[in-house]
Amino acid sequence: MLKIGKFIAQNVAVARQQLATTSRFYSQPPQPADTSDLPIDITNPYEKDPQQCILCKHDIAPHYKNVKLLSQFQSPYTGRIYGRHITGLCKRRQEQVEQAILRAQQCLLMPGYHKDLDFLADPKLFDPERPVRPHKY
Amino acid sequence: MPTYELALVLRQLPRPELISVIRRTAEAIFDKGGIIRKLENLGTRALPHKVSEHGVVHREGTHFTIAFDTAPTQIADLKEEFGRDIDIIRRYVFKVQEPEEHKCTLHEEMLPPAYRKDVQEIVEAAKRTQKKKYNYNSGLDYYPFQK
Repeated sequence: MLKIGKFIAQNVAVARQQLATTSRFYSQPPQPADTSDLPIDITNPYEKDPQQCILCKHDIAPHYKNVKLLSQFQSPYTGRIYGRHITGLCKRRQEQVEQAILRAQQCLLMPGYHKDLDFLADPKLFDPERPVRPHKY
Repeated sequence: MPTYELALVLRQLPRPELISVIRRTAEAIFDKGGIIRKLENLGTRALPHKVSEHGVVHREGTHFTIAFDTAPTQIADLKEEFGRDIDIIRRYVFKVQEPEEHKCTLHEEMLPPAYRKDVQEIVEAAKRTQKKKYNYNSGLDYYPFQK
């Protein structure tokens, strides 16, 4: 079985070589004399800048003492931390925010069941009603 | 010696007594062979919720932060000593870590699932557990396994 297969393959290779020399099977378009308008190899000029999350764009590291910043990622209704599909942060920053919020809550700097009343009027960094993927609430 | 930060919450006390509490804490660190780098006062404020500690309910407290260096073996002893102090409502010791240099990976995470690296890894891991199917076109003219 294997030998028959090899025999056929060899014959096909020989046939292809013979056909290539006659150049009836493989026709190539005529090469132009002026090659100045052919495409050149450069980096894509229309490539957009890689999308960055809010904290990475402004290079802000969340700290447990910065309760005002951390409260912006907390729900004003339940006091819970918003997920990554709502905040729009990258994985690393979201983890940092969550750890900082937990630390602040353990050090009695930030409430856990509600948002601090002084920070309720803070500007919104994202819309919790329009997340990246739908949530059940 | 690694740097640690001690976040302290002290109960409502008059100023001279607050000073004595801080002095006691600092002396405890020095006795264990530690060096204090920084001492911050974050002020007196109402606590986010009632805290009952050592049989007393507290609604306000004074926040302090002490950054110090000690051997890691002494941290457990220090925590236990601060736990015995009635004037300290809450104590939290954590290691001070320098921020790592990292680039934002949001553009990779916003790709459709088929193009995301972590999803591709999951698919590969699932393929590895699947049983390999025998390829009848392999060129062998006999079934090599015992049926």
